[in-house]
Amino acid sequence: MTRVNVNRRDALRLALSLSAAAGLGLVPPRAHAAGTINFADIGVGDPGGDWSKFEAASGYDVNLVSIGNAPSAVLNVLVASGGQGTYEIINIVGGMQKPLVDNALVEKIDTGRLPNWAKDTYVEEFLGNGKPGFQFIGYDNDIYGVPTVLQGDSFAYLPEKTGKLDSYAALFDPKWKGYVALEDNYTTAGQKTALYLKKAGLAKIANPDDMTKEEFKAVTDFLIDQKKKGQFRVIWNSFEQAVNLITSKEVYVIDCWEPMVFVAKSKGMDVVYADPKEGYLLWAMAAYLVKNPNRTAEQTEAAYKLLDFMLGGWYGAKITNLRGYMTNPQAETYAKDNPSEFPAEQAKRVAEITENVRRKFSQGGTWQNRWPTEVEFYESEWSRFKAA
Amino acid sequence: MDEPASRWRRWPMWLIIAVALAFLYVPLVPSLVASLQGVEPGQWTLRWYGELWRTPLVLGAFRASAMIAVLVGILAPLLGLLAAMSIRELGVPRFILLVMLLPLFIPGVSMGLASAFLFRLLGIAPSLATIVIVQTLWALPFATLIILTAMTTFDPQYLEAAYLAGAGRWRAFRDIELPLIASGITGAISFSAILSINETIRTSAVQGPWNTVPTYIWSTYRQVGLSPVLYALMGLIIIATVVIVLSFLLLGREARPR
Amino acid sequence: MVTAVEPWARRVLLCLPLIFVAIFLVVPVGLTVMISFLQRAGLRFLPAFSLASYASLIGGARLEVLRRSLLVAIEATALSLIIAYVIAYFLARKVTPAAARIVLVLFTIPFLINYIVRDVSYTVLLGRTGVVNTALMAAGIIDAPLDWLLYSDFAVLLGLISAYMPFMIFPLFLSIGAIDRQYLEASALLGASPLTTFRTITLPLSLPGVFAAGLFGLVGCLGESAVPIILGGVGYELIGNTITSSMDVLNYPLAAALSSVVILLMLLLMLGWYLVFDMRSFLGRILEWRA
Repeated sequence: MTRVNVNRRDALRLALSLSAAAGLGLVPPRAHAAGTINFADIGVGDPGGDWSKFEAASGYDVNLVSIGNAPSAVLNVLVASGGQGTYEIINIVGGMQKPLVDNALVEKIDTGRLPNWAKDTYVEEFLGNGKPGFQFIGYDNDIYGVPTVLQGDSFAYLPEKTGKLDSYAALFDPKWKGYVALEDNYTTAGQKTALYLKKAGLAKIANPDDMTKEEFKAVTDFLIDQKKKGQFRVIWNSFEQAVNLITSKEVYVIDCWEPMVFVAKSKGMDVVYADPKEGYLLWAMAAYLVKNPNRTAEQTEAAYKLLDFMLGGWYGAKITNLRGYMTNPQAETYAKDNPSEFPAEQAKRVAEITENVRRKFSQGGTWQNRWPTEVEFYESEWSRFKAA
Repeated sequence: MDEPASRWRRWPMWLIIAVALAFLYVPLVPSLVASLQGVEPGQWTLRWYGELWRTPLVLGAFRASAMIAVLVGILAPLLGLLAAMSIRELGVPRFILLVMLLPLFIPGVSMGLASAFLFRLLGIAPSLATIVIVQTLWALPFATLIILTAMTTFDPQYLEAAYLAGAGRWRAFRDIELPLIASGITGAISFSAILSINETIRTSAVQGPWNTVPTYIWSTYRQVGLSPVLYALMGLIIIATVVIVLSFLLLGREARPR
Repeated sequence: MVTAVEPWARRVLLCLPLIFVAIFLVVPVGLTVMISFLQRAGLRFLPAFSLASYASLIGGARLEVLRRSLLVAIEATALSLIIAYVIAYFLARKVTPAAARIVLVLFTIPFLINYIVRDVSYTVLLGRTGVVNTALMAAGIIDAPLDWLLYSDFAVLLGLISAYMPFMIFPLFLSIGAIDRQYLEASALLGASPLTTFRTITLPLSLPGVFAAGLFGLVGCLGESAVPIILGGVGYELIGNTITSSMDVLNYPLAAALSSVVILLMLLLMLGWYLVFDMRSFLGRILEWRA
């Protein structure tokens, strides 16, 4: 499907010709686009719909399709819906290499074809082979994902209600009973809880990022206990919901992602993203190249160009500004050097966010594991927690 | 209509209806308000309505949803009508009814996945067609039931009379039966269309590169939050519908007396 | 004028819906049931018969999820039916057709707005600092915000009822409106009170519509994933959510098993209905049809 540039007049014509177009597919591609890259993304990788720079440089359109981040959504898209023939790139939170590679769904990335790869020092610094971050982009010593976004998560709180908070213990503090929200995700909330329990000595957990059955059961039992005491107001699983919980002051302490804090702040809320002493939940987005034996060489080349583009300065600065995540080292300099595209406060924002995330990475914490060894057990335990 | 009891005794009922309607319409207000909010809190603006036309993703999703709704709104009632007719003519009414109602019993999630596997097995790529198929299947039982319910009151003697008067089957059906079950058919059409534009789970399994409004809303709701542009879209739909419905009703009023 | 279609062509035409459902539903569901018995190995399946999925289903928390889903669905459907029936009865019997039409349309308009957006609006309205609580506190009726308005059973029921109840009005309206006035008049003439008339004439004759409405409500509520997510409380999990989450870990056989169990339950319900009610009264005049 080709993206159509629609202005008001076109939109009107569009509305009138709706029935005529039915069944015939959509408007044919624009004359000058050499082709289209189908890009499945969870919403984070969308630079506000503006792919003009990429199109100008490569001659290819980008068709962005929104998909969910859940492993089932991703796998359904690639497996069941014939997605392998449909998408070139899929941009999701990394760490999914094992099921993707084992099922021959994605290809190795030839980093030599990406000029911006070498310039992205974050890769070596945080995600190099041998480091725990490698599990976000690599598998079996090979690179499969291009890290488009990096971030460290903790939790948010309303200082006017709680004062300064600096530990995950706040999530389980009876002082805030009924005013706490957790994310409905065993790889984030579950792992953060494990990190807390380990550091607080409340449970024996060797590696929060890959727990054994007994260890995770202990985490679940703890959470069920808290739930029965009425500690949690809600277990959220959507961005919008989390933001609402903050802006409506429905809860005071919430395990969430930093962009939610940015959105809430922009609406005038006094909310802080905590710097817990236990550390952060570190993760990265990875753009995978979908395995498709029928793809032409030109199409693959164009896909590589897009991957490279996403490692570049303009894209990085745009995403950092829109979503609040750290992207790549060139983003900061690009924003500063191009005031026509990134006004001063945006450039400043990019610099601040980058600085902030780097600090988190240096403090450390635990790397999120999206596909732990006992993931099935995690899932059924989490079900037990939710049904309790 | 029964003999009217004195008017004033009716008001408790109207109150109940008003309350029910209020519950349904109240959620529309926050959406409308959100669509008019500016970036700074407390600002009012129409800019999102303008931005809507510049957001290809949302427009594309809207277009796709509209096209699909039209197709489903035609296909499902059509098949439903044929099904209702087959129930009364083919001699195994209960069996056919059971089969037609089957789609109701499959949870959306399972149906989506199962359909996706089927298409993959058959080598059919995801497209508007696959979405239409899945949604028609979902709307089919409702369309069938509605048309069937309308038919239960239709007395076949009318058709007999028509045959006796010399009309062919099609003629008899078209001129005699169709008008009497018309309300059932229009009900089936609107039902199917509404089901289509709200259908999310089944569609997301077979959508391929296509976005529909509900699947787009669902994924942005979960990942990045609803944008004001979406609210503007909703606002437009509300306004457009109210206009269409009002004009419909006004025209209808002029067409009376029957 | 168009002549009659060939008899055999007509038969084929009439079989189209059956064929459609057979291909696009029966086959995929058959696949699902098959898959539920397979052993899994990652994304692929081993052709080995295994009851592992069913075992984990019965042993675990999923059974509880199933039970709760059924309970919630039945509650929501029952409440919706009552409300819808009352409204449908009023519209069918006590109001001019024109007014009834207008009201019916009024009930459908909100559905052009995506239900996710509507449910999100409910969270805005029912929260601790939402409109309802603020108004109640300002009026002095309560001192502290009502917690149970949102993220609770109440909220989920509200979401489900608002999603399905209006749809139920229509078939009920058709059904009640179709009851021949003469029956009612005869009943009144024979001395029956309005209540008796309702109980013995109206209610039984409107059962076709009640069935259609109840079925839709029950199945719809059972299949819901979005409402519990948006409006549910602490880890409100219904069948739809648990199927998704088991697919999330590629446990397709378990997801298939869960689906199969739900489907089986619904089919049993339908079987029960067939046995209890005489279909003939539902199909009514349709069965007097002679080709």
